[in-house]
Amino acid sequence: MPWTAAGRTLVAAVLLFLPAPIVIVVMSSFTARGYISFPPGELSLRWYAEFLASPDWLMSLVVSLVLAALAAAFSTLIAFLGALVFTRKRFPGAAGFETLVLLPLIFPHAALGVVMLGMAGMFGWTGRFPGLLLAHVIMTVPYAWRPIVSSLRKLDLSTEEAAMSLGARPLYVFRRVTLPLLRPGLVTALLFTFIISFDEVTVSLFLVGPDVTTLPVRIFAHIQDSGSPVIAAISTVLVALTVLVVLLLDRLIGLELFVESEQRRRPA
Amino acid sequence: MTTHAGPVLEALDVEKNFGAFRAVDGVSLSVRRGEFLTLLGPSGCGKTTMLRMAAGFESPDRGTIRIEGADVTGVPPYSRQLGFVFQNLALFPHLTVGENVAFGLEVRKVARAEQARRIEDSLQLVGLAGHAARRVHELSGGQRQRVALARALVIRPAVLLLDEPLGALDLKLRRQLQLELKGLQQRTGTTFVFVTHDQEEALTMSDRIAVMNEGRIEQLDDASAIYDRPRTRFVAQFIGDTNLFDGSVAAVDGGEARIDIPALGASVAMAAPAGLLAGDRVALSVRPENLRPAADGPGLAATLHGRVAAGVYAGTHHRFRIEARGRELLLALPARPDRPPPFAPGDEVEVGWDASRATLIKAN
Amino acid sequence: MRFGRLAWLLMLPLAAVLGLFLVSLGALVWSSFAGADGVPKLDLYARFFARRDYVDVLVRTLWVAGLTTLVSLAIGYPVAWAVARHKGRRDWLLVLIILPWLVSVVVRTYGWIVILGNRGLLNAFLGWLGVVDTPLKLMFNTTGIVIGLVHVFCPFMILAILAVFLHLERSLEEASMSLGAGPWQTFRKVIWPLSLPGVISGTMIVYLMATGAIVTPLLLGGLRDRMLGTQIYQEMFQVFDFPRAATMAVILTATALAVVLPLGMLERRVSRNLKGAS
Repeated sequence: MPWTAAGRTLVAAVLLFLPAPIVIVVMSSFTARGYISFPPGELSLRWYAEFLASPDWLMSLVVSLVLAALAAAFSTLIAFLGALVFTRKRFPGAAGFETLVLLPLIFPHAALGVVMLGMAGMFGWTGRFPGLLLAHVIMTVPYAWRPIVSSLRKLDLSTEEAAMSLGARPLYVFRRVTLPLLRPGLVTALLFTFIISFDEVTVSLFLVGPDVTTLPVRIFAHIQDSGSPVIAAISTVLVALTVLVVLLLDRLIGLELFVESEQRRRPA
Repeated sequence: MTTHAGPVLEALDVEKNFGAFRAVDGVSLSVRRGEFLTLLGPSGCGKTTMLRMAAGFESPDRGTIRIEGADVTGVPPYSRQLGFVFQNLALFPHLTVGENVAFGLEVRKVARAEQARRIEDSLQLVGLAGHAARRVHELSGGQRQRVALARALVIRPAVLLLDEPLGALDLKLRRQLQLELKGLQQRTGTTFVFVTHDQEEALTMSDRIAVMNEGRIEQLDDASAIYDRPRTRFVAQFIGDTNLFDGSVAAVDGGEARIDIPALGASVAMAAPAGLLAGDRVALSVRPENLRPAADGPGLAATLHGRVAAGVYAGTHHRFRIEARGRELLLALPARPDRPPPFAPGDEVEVGWDASRATLIKAN
Repeated sequence: MRFGRLAWLLMLPLAAVLGLFLVSLGALVWSSFAGADGVPKLDLYARFFARRDYVDVLVRTLWVAGLTTLVSLAIGYPVAWAVARHKGRRDWLLVLIILPWLVSVVVRTYGWIVILGNRGLLNAFLGWLGVVDTPLKLMFNTTGIVIGLVHVFCPFMILAILAVFLHLERSLEEASMSLGAGPWQTFRKVIWPLSLPGVISGTMIVYLMATGAIVTPLLLGGLRDRMLGTQIYQEMFQVFDFPRAATMAVILTATALAVVLPLGMLERRVSRNLKGAS
């Protein structure tokens, strides 16, 4: 590519542009003022204190954490069991089956929200936690599917045979050879689906109710109503948790996995 | 471990199909205790499938497999007491060298102290003493090979099955490991069943060789017999180079037969194997080093007049391609130090073979 | 490891979840055709297209999504290239792209409110410089929506293209140069065609996400400059009209798929043609 100063400037600008709004939110959360402003002026932690003093906000944080943890666990487990059979058994329509697993990826989120609301309604779960959980599981399964399938495909089946030839029974082989070799894929699936569920807002908008609201949805509602800097404080907590998970992923697996998983993304 | 007087490993009339493809077609084979037996053949000949059935990774559609005289046909691989060395080695990447070797011992719940001793011994045996704490990916190709061997030998298998384990290595390392492997087999007295498509490798290492083709064993014999007395066209052509002359038996008289060979426009006399009848279609196989120029001396059973098309120097031998009567012959002559090649391209030569140097192959 | 017949049971949870999704999808489509007496009709669709304001919303959705995609491609492509060809550790560059991508859309949009609002950072800065007297109107219009959506979705584009570049052999460029092609010709004849699969898949994702967005258009666009997503949200929670929302959801999905499915086929064809190139 013709590489010019203009190109470099553009790239630098974009790389600043991407984190900029987040940095600004984090910084303005430390303001002492009663309204959101940047630069924040005099610094204080009063908005964090307000957040911690509010049962509603804390409840939403708990809901989001529990929801994300359960959604991650369920979708990873479901995807793992399915992928195990999918990669090791031949069956007609396997390609079609995979398309079906990845189907939720090709729906615009606003439409997906309406679909999920209808589904929650079928079970009487409108505005309740099980409805949210089911929707999040359906939405995150494709994200668990890809790292797990790719780690299953990379797994050298002769290592399992080697273990068997050394006298190990199937369950022992699974525990001592298969599972450890699949660990990167499983960890990726767990953390990735956790982040996606934890940060999800568009579809959740349709599924929350008066008793159960996720943190991102509550933030969204408050932004519409008020300009209180408490939102910045809470957003900062959200950012901190996301950063934590990303750092964990970087440590455990390496960030290039996001690029890899992007490449395997083939809607339709 | 029980010791049993008969063959340590047996296959009886074993058949295996993959869909419409018959990979193994009624093979019977018995492996003697302590021998180095090689299954040799081109890819797709069924040799790896045979080995995997012996290990229990595949189950035969028909036939029986016995280890130490006991029928193990339906027995899963983890109960067979066999060692297996994989083509890609299949070392456990998440374990260290020591942990890899320990795997089979832990499964058997061998006591810690004995484990440590046996791991040490087997690493020593393969020349990797002191490498137990290394990670697999830190090792060279040859070292990995040795770990795979140590891991399979430490459980003291009744038979060690090896599926082309040297295939991925470069030629020099490969030759070195061939010798090591043979030495290891002789030192431990373990029975080895080795699969390869490399005839030179098979000839170097084996006590006996089973040449396989299209799911069948074409010939099972001592390594030297396989080379010197091939019994089928396929074996003659697959093992080394040869000159084949098709013909038919004109007459059999006592121990001698006259064979008409159209390519020579003549007939030759040679010792007749039992059961040969006049009218049988046969072929003569003459190895390139068993052809010689007529000028070297009298006594040739047959001669051909031809022209040297090309010659190469191959270290110990000069090899020539000769065009004679519309076909090509291969001739190998020992190279003498400080002497130029005996022929140059374009030379006219008269070549032939001594009667005892040709092998008679019955066409089926 | 070998599986018996019982192994199929392992598929059951996944199949159940997928089945549930398909059933709900069917139910939604069915309800969008709901007539007065339970006979499927096109009434709801006819009524949608009869309303000028709805059609405007649909057109604006396509326009905003298209623009967002183009801008994302224009800025994402050079960034992907720069990251792929960066000498040394890429980790920090990747963090700059991936972290913002994974932070919740709400938080990022909130950041843009702080920046773009009438009393926001940008207007304060411009006022301090003396460039403007009255604050620029950067929010509650299409500009604000596009800025926000580009920010939210362009990491998808960067990562999709980067995935291709990371697998692209540098020797291909070198071969092109050695044959006498200059940088611009090398780009046009070698790099661009080889990067097409990434470009197409990035385009699909960004377009898809942009058409279905609610949070960013609602917060940065307000109630006047509506998109289909925000319209659906309003029908649902202010008018409580589920069938109408369902109709809009089907229309929204159809407009998205009308672009995404052909692009998907194109991508597959392009990838097939490029097999072995990387």
